[in-house]
Amino acid sequence: MSKEATQVTTGTARIGGRAMPAIEIKDLCKSFGKFKAVDRLTLAVQQGEIYGLLGPNGSGKTTTINMISGLSVPTSGEVRVMGYDVRRNARQVRQILGSVPQETALYEELTAWANMDFHADLFGIPRKEKKGRITKLLELVQLLDRKDSRVSTFSGGMKRRLALARALLHDPKLIYLDEPTLGVDVQARRAIWDYILSLRDEGKTVLITTNYLEEAQALCERLAIIDHGKLVAEDTPTHLKQTYGGSVIEVETMKPSKEIDALRAIEGVKEVIQDGTHLKITTQGMYNIAPQIITILTQEGEIRDIVIREPNLDEIFLFLTGSALRD
Amino acid sequence: MLAKPGYTLRVIWACMKKDIKSALTERVFTIISVFVPVNILILLSLFAISGGQAPTAVVMNETGPYARQFYDSMSHAHSFILQTATASDAASLMQRGKIVAIVTIPADFDARIQQNQPVQVRVDVNNLNTDFTNDIRRAIPLSITTFYAKAFPELVTITPNEIDQYPQDTGYIPYLTVSILVVGLVLAGILQAGTASAREWENETIKELLLSPASRWAMIVGKMLASFVMSIAAVIVVLFVLIFIIGVQPVYWGEVIGFTCLCLLIFIAWGTFLGTVLKQRPAVIALSFGSSIPLFFLSGAFGPISFTTPAIQFIARIFPIYYAIVLQQHAFHGFDLNTYGMIINALIIAAYAVALIILAAVVLRRNTLAH
Repeated sequence: MSKEATQVTTGTARIGGRAMPAIEIKDLCKSFGKFKAVDRLTLAVQQGEIYGLLGPNGSGKTTTINMISGLSVPTSGEVRVMGYDVRRNARQVRQILGSVPQETALYEELTAWANMDFHADLFGIPRKEKKGRITKLLELVQLLDRKDSRVSTFSGGMKRRLALARALLHDPKLIYLDEPTLGVDVQARRAIWDYILSLRDEGKTVLITTNYLEEAQALCERLAIIDHGKLVAEDTPTHLKQTYGGSVIEVETMKPSKEIDALRAIEGVKEVIQDGTHLKITTQGMYNIAPQIITILTQEGEIRDIVIREPNLDEIFLFLTGSALRD
Repeated sequence: MLAKPGYTLRVIWACMKKDIKSALTERVFTIISVFVPVNILILLSLFAISGGQAPTAVVMNETGPYARQFYDSMSHAHSFILQTATASDAASLMQRGKIVAIVTIPADFDARIQQNQPVQVRVDVNNLNTDFTNDIRRAIPLSITTFYAKAFPELVTITPNEIDQYPQDTGYIPYLTVSILVVGLVLAGILQAGTASAREWENETIKELLLSPASRWAMIVGKMLASFVMSIAAVIVVLFVLIFIIGVQPVYWGEVIGFTCLCLLIFIAWGTFLGTVLKQRPAVIALSFGSSIPLFFLSGAFGPISFTTPAIQFIARIFPIYYAIVLQQHAFHGFDLNTYGMIINALIIAAYAVALIILAAVVLRRNTLAH
C-alpha cells in the first residue's frame, strides 16, 4: 500500500502538516467535438465540508462530477481525490468514493436488500459485517420495514434515500450526490437534507450538484457557481450575497409608475423591473438608495407597500451569469 | 483486501446472482430467449419437412407383382410421400390441394411389361409449385430406372456400386435439425447475454458497476455465468425437441453435452460483447437475428461447406457458427466435416470465446459516460 493510501486511511489526510483537499481540480477541460463542456475549471473541496456545484442544466456540473469519479476521461487537466490521481488510481478512488447519481442507478427489479447486498459484494465489505451494516443503514434512511420490497414500488424520495444508504455502505470518505432531491416531494427533501447534514457531522466530505438554490443555501458551506463549463464564482453563500448583492427593494404602488428612467438613473441602482404596480429594484454597493426611491415614487402618488431585503441566490446567479438558474 | 482472489470470486458470484434475479423478474425477455430458439427449430424443421418430399397419390389399377415393384421403386426415390388411393379419392385430394401429383398405374401394367409392350404411366401434376413439380419430373424417371434395374437386371447393364463413407445414411431433416440446434444456441446465447448487458445501460444501473472497484473482467464473467444458467433452459428444450420429438439420436452423448456447453459459451461471450457495445436491447435483438440467420445459412447448415464456392467457404471459416456446426454434426452423426479434427475445432471455438470475453472487458473498461 502506498504512503498516500496510508495517509487516507488514518483520519484526515494531510500533506506537509496541512489538510489535503478531498478534491483538487486543476485546469480541467472536457470537450465533445468543438463543444467545451468544462473549460479550465480549477477548484478545491476541503475535507469535511459540504461543497455545492451550482449551475443551470448543461452548465457542466455532471460532466465535472463524472470526471471526478472516473466515469468520464478529461480532455486535459488534473483531478485528485484524497491525493489520488483519478486516472492513475481509479480503483482506489472508487473505494473511497460513495456516489448517488442523478438517476439513482438502483436495480428496480430487485428488493432494497438485494441492492444493498450486491453493492456490499462489489465493494468487498467483509461478510460478517455485511448484514449489520445493511440493517443499520436501511434503518437510518427509514427503509428497514421495506427491505424486501422491490425498488420499483418505491416513491422517488424512497429511491433517493435507498441510493444514499447504498452509497454509504462501504463507509466512503467522500460522497457525491448529483441533484439529490430532484423530483422529490418537500417532506422527503427535508429528510434527505438532514441525512446529508449528518454526514458532515460524521466528518465526511460531501459534494453536491444542484440547481435548487434553496438546497445549496441550506446545505453547502461553500458554493461554486458554474456556467458554460467555467467557474463564475466560488465562496460561502453568505459571502456570495455580500460580494455580489446589495439589496432588493420591492415596492407596490397605487398605479403603474412612469418614473422608471428616473429610478434607473439613481446611483447604485442596477436593475428596475416593472410588473404593473409592482416594482423590483436591485441595487449594488453601499448607497442609501431607499429614500431617493420613495421621494420619486411619492411624487407620482401613494406607495402601498415597500420591502427591503437581501438578494437570494437566484438573483445572485442571475447577476453573475445573466440567466435564470433553471433555463 | 480488494486484490484477493476471494474478492474476485465474490464479485463473479454476486454479478451472476444479481443477473439471474433480474432476468427472472423480467419474464418477457426470459420467455423470448427460451422460445425463440425453439421456434426457430420448429419453423426451419417444418420448412425442411414441407419442402423435402412431394405428397403423391398412387392409383393402383393393377396390383400384380410388377405394379407393386414399381410402387416400391417410387417409395425408395426419396422424393415422394406416397399414399394409395382410388381414382376419385386422388382427384378429390388433388382438388383440395392435399397432394402434388397423382400417379396412375394402368390396369394392364403387368401384362404389357410381360409382353414387352410400351406402358404409359399417367402422371397428373399440380404444377403450381415449381420445386415440387421438378421433384416429380426427376423422381418418376428415376423410379422407372430403379424398377427396371430390379425387375430386369439382365437388361440394365449399368448399375451404381455405392460405397458409403459412413455406416448410416443421414437424412436431410436430421442433418438440418442438428444445424438448427446451433442457430438455437446462437440465439439463446446472444439474446440472453446481450440483453443482460444492454439492460445495465438502458436502466442506467451501469454506474453502480462502473463506480465500483471490482475488476471489469470479473463482472463480465459473472454476467456470462448468469446468462449460461438462464440459457440452459432454452437449450434443454431445443435438445428435447431434437432428440425425442424429431428423433435425431446422438452418436456421442458426451460430445453433445460438452460441445453444447462450449458452443453456448462462445455465443454468450458474443452476446455480452454486443450488449456492452450496443447498450440497447432492441439493437441487440435486431443484430442477433440479423447476423445469426445469414451466418447460419452460410456456415454449412444444409451440408458440408466444401460443396460450396471458395468465397462462401472463406466467409464461413471466419465465424464460429461454422465450427459449432462441425462439432455438433460430429456429436450427433459422427461426421467429420473438415480435416482439423474435433480438438482443433473445439479449441478454435474456445479461442473465439476468450477473445470476445477480453474484448467485452476492454470495452467495459474503456466505457465512459456521454456527459
